[in-house]
Formats: sequence, structure tokens, C-alpha cells
Amino acid sequence: MALVIEAEGLSKRYGETVAVDSLDLAVPGGALFGLLGPNGSGKSTTIRMLTGQAKPSAGRARVLGVDVAADPVGVRRLVGIIPEQETPPSFLTAAEYLRFVSAVRDFAGGEKAAQWWFDFLDFGDKRDVLCKDLSRGTRQKLMFAQAFLHSPRLALIDEPLVNFDPIVQHQVKEFLVEYVKRGNTVFLSTHILEVAEEICTGYAVLHRGRLLATGRPDELREGGRHLSDVFLDLVRRERGHA
Amino acid sequence: MRDLFVAMFREEWRIHAVLFGDAVFALLPVLVGAMAFMGTFLVPLVNRALPAGDLASIVHALYLLLGVMVGGFGLVGNEVMNRRFGQASFVAYAARTLPLSERQIFSAFVAKDTVYYLLFWVLPVVAGVAVASPFVGLPPGAVLCLLVSLPLSFLSGLSGLFLVTTVWSRSRAAFAVLAAVAVIAAGASVRATGGIPPFPPLALYRSFSWAVLAGTGIGIGAGFGVSLLLFEPRSPGGEHRHPDRFTGLLRRLHALPYPALTARDLLDLWRSGGGVGQVLFSLVLPLGLCWFLLSLLGPVLPPYGVLTLFSVLAGVLASTIYTWLTAFDSPGAYACLPVAPGDLIRSKLGLFALLHPVPAAIVLGAAVLSGNGPYAAPALGLMLGVSAWSAGIMVYLAGLSPNLLVYDPRVLFTYLFAVGLPAAGLIVLDLLDPWSGLAALLLVVPAVLAVRAAVHRWEEAEIFLS
Repeated sequence: MALVIEAEGLSKRYGETVAVDSLDLAVPGGALFGLLGPNGSGKSTTIRMLTGQAKPSAGRARVLGVDVAADPVGVRRLVGIIPEQETPPSFLTAAEYLRFVSAVRDFAGGEKAAQWWFDFLDFGDKRDVLCKDLSRGTRQKLMFAQAFLHSPRLALIDEPLVNFDPIVQHQVKEFLVEYVKRGNTVFLSTHILEVAEEICTGYAVLHRGRLLATGRPDELREGGRHLSDVFLDLVRRERGHA
Repeated sequence: MRDLFVAMFREEWRIHAVLFGDAVFALLPVLVGAMAFMGTFLVPLVNRALPAGDLASIVHALYLLLGVMVGGFGLVGNEVMNRRFGQASFVAYAARTLPLSERQIFSAFVAKDTVYYLLFWVLPVVAGVAVASPFVGLPPGAVLCLLVSLPLSFLSGLSGLFLVTTVWSRSRAAFAVLAAVAVIAAGASVRATGGIPPFPPLALYRSFSWAVLAGTGIGIGAGFGVSLLLFEPRSPGGEHRHPDRFTGLLRRLHALPYPALTARDLLDLWRSGGGVGQVLFSLVLPLGLCWFLLSLLGPVLPPYGVLTLFSVLAGVLASTIYTWLTAFDSPGAYACLPVAPGDLIRSKLGLFALLHPVPAAIVLGAAVLSGNGPYAAPALGLMLGVSAWSAGIMVYLAGLSPNLLVYDPRVLFTYLFAVGLPAAGLIVLDLLDPWSGLAALLLVVPAVLAVRAAVHRWEEAEIFLS
């Protein structure tokens, strides 16, 4: 499959702090790719750079063939994004927010798609509630719906499951697996290794902004080891070197 | 409560220190004091045209106005705590996990804001005047009186508007009753004294009296106290439901370049407790005060002079409509959408322009009611030109965060200089020939250029991370 994300030497510095350090990534289409790493490892910054929210300090990246630095809006038009913090506008209702997203994306099928998401994630009773009054879990459902509303070929989702109860987590994991089977790609950032182990078809492990390992599950989990053991070994080894 | 106040106070300092640096933020009161110091040297010159008593009235009215401009806590309730710095104001957030009521947290927040304004905007002025007073022959007693009366002027405006907006938010009927009582009391007072009764802080400045001081203090305290009692915390668990208004607005605004963004901003403005309240308390009331203040200058100005000055001030105030449109918006909300910072700026400026019939109607009304109907067109030109230019500069300097203007001394003084210089020139021209006010419309050209530069500047910034 052709690559949907290509990054070469992608770096981000905030003053003296190096958030992401010379990251090389190649994500093939049709993958459910997990970006793993402890807190503060640079996962969210990587997603922000790949979606044109943050400018790389060095290196380059192409997402669906679009240079993220040259055309950040173009990238965001093509992909679906769930940001790290759920931030729907306070004074729109849930239904109005999805209409707003459809209008901004110039997506004609928004009404039908929104109804599907209200039904699928079972929050249709909240459609007329102002976003600021929604629980974190419901806001996260809404962010999930907006990211997939226009059925993007690629979705970059940052810790999408943390606010969901186990039932919704299960539903969402099944959805993601099915979504990828239809030929789409999901780039999932998470530190919940069980989720990654369960559904991802490829991984990259980040620590302190540096790529420690990347590959398919069978490559990383040599000898049938648990992903968590592989992850801990990698991170401890890196810390030992530091 | 005391610990919470101290923590909020420290946090406020650190938020600004992170944004602008400790030294730059600390420079703000120094610069305010320096301006007051230099301004004091103009007092003997101004006194040749304007009686000293009127000058004092103007200064006190200005600080009353400042209090009014920052006192609208009641309009947005505890939402103001999120509105100011969002989750950067962590203490306001985290305090909800402590055994404190929303009312107590909000009270600490109001107290912290009030003390900040006093320390950064009010007391430095008194300090500047005090340092300059020996050079201009201002008696020490007058400076001491100013030390009391100026903060009280500011606090009167703040607590007064806090009370009015809180009552407005609780009940429109109660607000109407309060307004009627205020009008009747003012009318009775005018009839009894044969003129407008002196504003208590100003009366204190003119002739200090412990009784007036106590009365003023009690009045201000009562304003704060009643407001905090009436304040209705919006509990996080409450659900506000609304029928779909977005679709209808989108249809009506389809001719605009960014109908979805504009419709969203309109709904924000309306549902945030703004809408009519915002227009009333952020535009009509301050402009009413401005008119009263400027009318004191009537005897030393040409017949249309008050209208000239009023139109320029109305232009500056009208430009703050842009701040209404950014108050509830976080650029982070667009991080997942194909929207560029420039799109956001342009869409907000589109709505800014759409809302301008409101200040235009106020200026037209002022022209007609003051008997200056023939000069309504140049007055309107002045207001529109100054508003466009001020907004253009504001957008260039502060992008989508115009509250930077108030807290970053570099930005603030650049803004004041860039707006003040052409405004002063226009005032002089207009006082010489009232029709020259139409020339202010030429400011629209550099305003458009400023907006273009602003779009370029803020496209380069990583605003979605804020």
C-alpha cells in the first residue's frame, strides 16, 4: 500500500526543550498505526505537526501527499482529527456543532452522518444540549463524531478512548478495526498499551521525542512477548542510556 | 478564602509573566505612572481653557468609566473565570475540588481582579500625580484626596455595573425596576438640589469628609455584597438545551465569505449572556457616560465640538466589538478543522462590520438629540473611520487575543500611540471644520492594510496551540 504519512527528520523545539527529535515515520495506507509512548514523549506534538497545527522546527512531512508545512489547511481538509483535549465550542449544541463542522468542511452528507453517530454512540438525547454542559465522555463522543463525519481516508486521533466507559471503548475499537478494513487509515496516539496491542497493525514507540522502534506487531513482539514488556524494555534501556 | 485569593493573585502574575516576562509585566504600572506624571505637567496649560474643577470631574469620570468597562461580571457569571484565561487559570478550576462553594471561588476571583486593576491602573496614576505635584503647585492635600477619590471612582463604576449586570442576569423585570428607581431617585435629587448631585468620590476630592467617605464605602461595599448574594453560580452539572438556530443563521448569512464561522460567533455572542446585555453594558452605558463627561467641555468647545469628541470615542469603543467576538472563542477549537487563522480573523471582522449599525445609530441619535443633526454625516464618518483603524491595529497587534492589549504594556502602548495620533489629528481637523470628519473614512484604507498584515502575521503564529 502507498504511504499515507511520510516524515523525515521531523523535529520540534520549544526554546531549549526538544519535544520531537528527528522523527522518521512511514505509515502505509490501510494501517491502524499506534504511536506509543509515556506521558510527555512527544506523541501529541507529532500529531500536531502532522496536522499542520504546529510548524516543524526541522524536517518535513507529507500527509496524503500534502506537505504539512506548505499547506496545513489542505491537510486538515483531507483528514479527520481528534485533538488531545476535547474542545467543541461552548455555546453551540451538540447537533449544531456537527452541522457547523459539516458546513466548514463543505460536506453535504453531514445531517445523515451526524444522526448515525448520535445513534451509534448513543448520545442522541444530548443533541440539543450546549457543548459546555456536556460531560467529558459525551464531549469526547462528539469529537469522535466530528473527526469521522466526512469519512476521511486518514484519521489522526490523540488518546481517543480515555474518557469513554468500557462499553463505548469496545464499540469504538470495533469501529476503528472495521474502518481500516474498508481501506482507510487510522493513526492512533495512546499510552494505553492494551488497546494498541489489541487493535493496531503497526507501531512506533516514542520516548523523550525520539523514535525507539517501529514495525509490525510480529516484528516488535518477537517471541510472542507482550507489547507492554517490549515497551518497558525499550523505555528502560533508553533511560539507562540517558 | 484568603489562601485562595493569594493563590489566584500569584497565578495571575505568573500567567502574565510567562506570556510577557516578569520585567515587562511589572513595567505596566510604571508606564501608567509615568504617563500620569507627564500628564500632570499639562494641568496648568489645560487650566487656562478648562476650570480645574471640570478637569477633576473628567479624571474621576474616566475612572468611573474604567470601572464600568471591567465590572460586567454579572453578565457572564462564573463563566468569566473560564473566559479570561481558559484552563490556564488553573486555580479557578482546581478550587472546585476544595470544600468551597462556587460563590466563594467567584468572590475570590472578583476580589483578585479588583485588586489587580487598582494596583496596575489606578494607584500608579495617583503615584505619578504625587511625584509631579511639587513641580506644578498641586497641594499635598489634593494628592491625598486623589489617593482616596480615584480608587473610589473606579470601585463605584465596578461595583455599580457588577450589581446592574447581576440583576439583569437574574431578572429583566427586576432590572427594569432597578433602572426606574435609579431614574426616579436621580430626578428627585436634581429637583431637590437644583442640579446634578455631585458624584460622591468627586465630592470627596473637592472637600474631604469622613461622612461622605463612609457613605461611599458603604455604597460600594453594598454593591459588591448584593451582587455576590444575587450571583447565581452555573453549576457544571446543569444542562442548557436550545433548538437548532445554527441552520437558519447559516442560510441567512450565506452571502458572507465565512457563513458558518459567522453564524457560530453570533450564537456565541447571543447565548453567552451577551447579545442585548453586551450592547447595553459595553456600548450604550459607557457611551452615555462619555456624553455626560464630554458635555462638561461644552463651554470651551465649538457648538459641534462635543459631538466630534463623542464620535471619536464612540469609534474607539465600537472597535471593542471585536473583543466581544473573541471572548468565548479559543483558537484550539479549530485545530481539527480546515480553517486558517486568517479565515477566523476575516470572519470575525465581517461580523464586526455587520454589528456596526448599533454604534452608528447611537452616534446618529447623539447628533440629532444634541441639535447637531446637520453634522450627523461627518460624525458618522469619524466613528466609522476611527473604529475601522482601531480594530485594524488591534487585530494586527493581538490577533485573536485582544485581551493582550490590557496586559502587555508593549502592545498596549503601541496601540494607544497608533490610535491616539490619528484620532488627535482628526479631532483638531474636525474642530476647525466639522465636515472634515468625513476624512476619517480614509482611515479605512490603512485599516484594510493593517488587517492584511495581521492575517500574514497570525498565519505564521501557532495560534491553534493556545
